[in-house]
Amino acid sequence: MFGDHAAFIVPAYGASVIVIVLLIIWLRIQYSKHQKELLTLEQSGIKRRAVQTPDENSNQ
Amino acid sequence: MSDETTKTAGFWTWFWDLANPTRFLAIANWLIPVLAIFTCILLAIGLFLGFSAPQDYQQGATVQIMFIHVPASWTAMMCYSVMSISALGSLVWRHPLADVSIRAAAPIGAAFTFLALLTGSLWGKPMWGTWWVWDARLTSVLILFIIYMGLIALSRAIEEPTTAARSLAIITLIGFINIPIIKFSVDWWNTLHQPASVSRLAKPAMDAVFLYPLLTMAIAYTTLFFTLHLLAMRNEILRRRIRSMRMSAARKFDSPSASDRK
Repeated sequence: MFGDHAAFIVPAYGASVIVIVLLIIWLRIQYSKHQKELLTLEQSGIKRRAVQTPDENSNQ
Repeated sequence: MSDETTKTAGFWTWFWDLANPTRFLAIANWLIPVLAIFTCILLAIGLFLGFSAPQDYQQGATVQIMFIHVPASWTAMMCYSVMSISALGSLVWRHPLADVSIRAAAPIGAAFTFLALLTGSLWGKPMWGTWWVWDARLTSVLILFIIYMGLIALSRAIEEPTTAARSLAIITLIGFINIPIIKFSVDWWNTLHQPASVSRLAKPAMDAVFLYPLLTMAIAYTTLFFTLHLLAMRNEILRRRIRSMRMSAARKFDSPSASDRK
């Protein structure tokens, strides 16, 4: 499809796809890890200060 | 006059409302899928236009690399500009989200700079006959990559977020000097790299069959960046929330045992 230059074009597109997909996977893994951790912390009875105060903006 | 005042006041209320992480998370949760869908549509259109473009009379099929190389470079520089504006926001207004924004953007900027260097190298070999030259444009982009690496290392070296915020913001602002150097390097020095052919005051020096796919890909990369940035900011907010919950748990656990020891 790209003639003689396929050896340069295909790796360029391939690398871009790999890097962007890896970035998305890394961000998603971090997100689910954090959510799991927050859930365990909340289940063990630890609350955020923001939750404990009735009005979140009162201390700003 | 009074209209103007309410408008400004409205902006500032909104600006400081964003400082509330819960509110920001709600906006991010809504905005991320919207931006992601936009990005997918734009990428599909851009790739279709790009692959159906004819070969360039000088560059042949390697013009295809331009459609991903130029947007990656633009995104790499835009990301640094976003970080620098955030650094100002962090230093001047002490906006808590500004610091989150710098920390979250650095790895994304590094990834796009890496892609700009790699695709540039893969384009340079068939066109210039070399993978790399130490000329002004290429070297200044390599320096941008190193600055990103330094900022990532710094942001992870300091555990306490508020202490890290100040030094990170200052170093980010110092590094911004590299951005105009990258932009104007092709005009100031004699380089192998071609000068700007899209963002010129006169008509772009490019035919529409190449210009439209390039612009579409550039917008797609921009929305991709903001999607990734929001994802990363959301992660960073959750990470800080976990940290402060652990701290308060440790304090609670610590105080009775401290009184026991007396």
